[in-house]
Amino acid sequence: MKFKASLLASAVLTVSPFLLATQSHAERVLRLDESPVGEIDPAKATDYADTVLMQNLYDTLVEPKKGGPGVDPLLASEWAADGTAYTFKLRPDVKFHSGNPLTADDVVFSLNRMIAMGQGFSNLFAGRVEKAEAVDPHTVKFTLASPYAPFVAALARLPIVDSKEVMARKADGKYGEFGDYGEAWLSAHDAGSGAYTVESQNPQTETVMGKFSGYFLPFAENAPDKVHYRYGVEAPTVRALMSRGEHEISDLWLPPEVIRAMAAEPGMKLLQEAGATGEYIKLNTARAPLDDVHCRRALSYAFDYGNTLKILKINDTISQGIPMKGPLPSGLVGYDPSLPDITQDMAKAKEELAQCKYDPKSSPLDIAWIAEVPARERIALLMQAAFSQLGFPVNVIKTPWVLVSDQVTKPETAPHAVEIAVAAVAPDPDSLLYNMYSSKVPPTWMSAEHLKDDKVDELLEAGRSEADPAKREAIYKELNVRLRDLAPTIYAYEFTGVFVARDAVAVPTLEDPAQRTLDNFNLVFRTMSVAD
Amino acid sequence: MIWKTLYSRLKASLIVMIGISILIFAVARVMPGDPARIALGANASAEQVAALRADRHLDDPLPLQYWEFVKALSHGDLGKSLFTNRPVSTDIAQFLPATLELVVVSGLIMALLGLPIGAISAHFRGRAIDQIGRLVALLGVCTPAFVWGVILQLLLGYFWPIFPIQGRLMDATPVPPTVTGFYLLDSLIAGEPGTFLDALHHLILPAVALALGGMGQVARLTRSNMIEVYGKPYVEMAEAYGFRPWRIVSRYAFVPAFIPTLTILGLEFAALLGNAFLVEKVFGWPGLSRYGVDVILRKDLDAIVGTVLIIAAAFLIMNIVVDLLVTLINPRIRLSSRRD
Repeated sequence: MKFKASLLASAVLTVSPFLLATQSHAERVLRLDESPVGEIDPAKATDYADTVLMQNLYDTLVEPKKGGPGVDPLLASEWAADGTAYTFKLRPDVKFHSGNPLTADDVVFSLNRMIAMGQGFSNLFAGRVEKAEAVDPHTVKFTLASPYAPFVAALARLPIVDSKEVMARKADGKYGEFGDYGEAWLSAHDAGSGAYTVESQNPQTETVMGKFSGYFLPFAENAPDKVHYRYGVEAPTVRALMSRGEHEISDLWLPPEVIRAMAAEPGMKLLQEAGATGEYIKLNTARAPLDDVHCRRALSYAFDYGNTLKILKINDTISQGIPMKGPLPSGLVGYDPSLPDITQDMAKAKEELAQCKYDPKSSPLDIAWIAEVPARERIALLMQAAFSQLGFPVNVIKTPWVLVSDQVTKPETAPHAVEIAVAAVAPDPDSLLYNMYSSKVPPTWMSAEHLKDDKVDELLEAGRSEADPAKREAIYKELNVRLRDLAPTIYAYEFTGVFVARDAVAVPTLEDPAQRTLDNFNLVFRTMSVAD
Repeated sequence: MIWKTLYSRLKASLIVMIGISILIFAVARVMPGDPARIALGANASAEQVAALRADRHLDDPLPLQYWEFVKALSHGDLGKSLFTNRPVSTDIAQFLPATLELVVVSGLIMALLGLPIGAISAHFRGRAIDQIGRLVALLGVCTPAFVWGVILQLLLGYFWPIFPIQGRLMDATPVPPTVTGFYLLDSLIAGEPGTFLDALHHLILPAVALALGGMGQVARLTRSNMIEVYGKPYVEMAEAYGFRPWRIVSRYAFVPAFIPTLTILGLEFAALLGNAFLVEKVFGWPGLSRYGVDVILRKDLDAIVGTVLIIAAAFLIMNIVVDLLVTLINPRIRLSSRRD
């Protein structure tokens, strides 16, 4: 009798969750994951997960162009630039999730809120926008302090919030009449106009989003009704969940061997995005022997590009990296496909080394690799092998990111070489190169090279102030060549994000090159289809 | 007698908590990396970083920062997390129940499996059943919890998928109204048996993975203590009297052997809180241990201090409970205290 009772209990225990699960099939659910945290406040959002959330919960005046560099209109129907003044006409048919119409006042409020809070991408606008004003309900005018050509592209990082909703939810705070600018409320809710709205938010675990039926753009026929965006799911768990049909799209940080194993399972496919992120081996140009350009060029020629790409290869057609042709990744203005790939050439490396004023045998090199990214140890070891062939004693040092990011800000503590990924934050080369190479910018982890070069500075400033697109392209092409020649960085490879997805989900923005845009901007839920 | 023990332990615990708070406060701040820069991200300007440092008093001398922390703590304010942008107390209130639920169930599994395995091994010492018991205990001790997590996930979540491997509930299951934060209890309080079964189903694999290490330790200790007791004259006398084996195990061998085991059981139980991190990572369990490691990696100062204080408090509470239980069940301590 007791045995029967326990058998029954076991059966109920095992079956009941599956019965519960069948209820969920009434709606189309999309489940995907990223690294934590998922920040849903537009004035604080910065990294990959945040970008995906912003793109689906909020809208911006412009968005990165599909199928090529530049921007497309989104909330803006048209715009005009006159010197430092930019005037945008807004679409009249956009409503927020609250039902309020989206107006020019909301654009002004969103910009002021971001600048006042001083977080997120506020650095793209603070000090540059002198004034933002609503000319009429559907016209907004920005006046810049000085010419800044990347301004329109930067607007892809300004999600528009519902000012009425935010002010209705404000709490006491340090922003005067604006209270806390809705900071507390917006940490768990949204005030956007995007195709999805927040149903629940746990920044460490999961954001659950539901479809917004009043969205102004169409949904794909079988677009997900609900999206579970999970954070911090371990690679073995992602693999098991996908095999069980409980997860649709993996994150793009899985090791190549895990991606290979998952792709070999039936019902799985690989998706790719690229265009904005370079994997840069930053050489400390302020520290001997790399303050000599010939030594830097020697290392650049000695680097084993071929084997690095082999490490990243998933199969014959898909890889987590492609060759670079200089500092610019392939999706940005100024990228020059006609330039030859940079490849290993030990003969040239030795030629350059012969011109270097330092004796390699008495010039030990410190190569750091970031402890949180184990795959980079292999690349550090490849460097050790290659540079040792030139006679340099090489120390490979495993260093946590918090330490690396601090060390590299000072020339005296920065290692000789460290691999760091840097992405363009807006669809414009300025958002990548200026922070890396301008001597006017206080040193950060992005500028671990500590480069001081007048010509580079001149070209960076020209790229910022030149309004003519053709002239800008020529400037960045010239800058690309100049930086290749100066070799402050080894341009190891362009990062290509590889997702594993179940066949049950169609992701046109990743599967159709004509619809694909810069990495970070391709997970648009409303365009996806989830099969029954 | 109990009250006297309780009073002295609470007094000592308060001193330990003050010491830990000072230590963790200082250690968190000397770790490399600028917390404001890490929090604001790579693209933040130097002005933004400086403003956040000023806002969080990070440029003040360390004693002054500690004084601000103590003042805020006296109002129940643990500060604000740079990682989740919420008050640390809100984060702890959200994440702690998940970890406690996991730890309590793991602790029960640890005791309910470890004690009988140790007792049976001791009773059948030197025989095949003892060898099996020792092997099971050894496997438990020498295999880290996260490895058990991955093995269980592979066996019962991947090859034979009968258990869920992610989170506390299925996506379709509504979260029960919060009373305790323990889904098992809250679902029963709300009268939702389906949610209870789903929560239990989700708990089994992580709780077993977390429990196995402590279970092995408890089994080994119970076995060795009981074997020592079996050599005592009063047990030999009980055997000579012809008492039933079960009576000898339960009454004469197990209880005296249980006293040192209880101390270890208590410490193992408290240690589950710290060890839960990797199990929480593997099973996507939204708990405090995982949160603790995440905030350490991001040098989230207030959150580090808050999390460490909570885990330290759990250790101290567990120590006090064990001391009280040992006092209650050990006649030598009880009687010597009375003589004093």
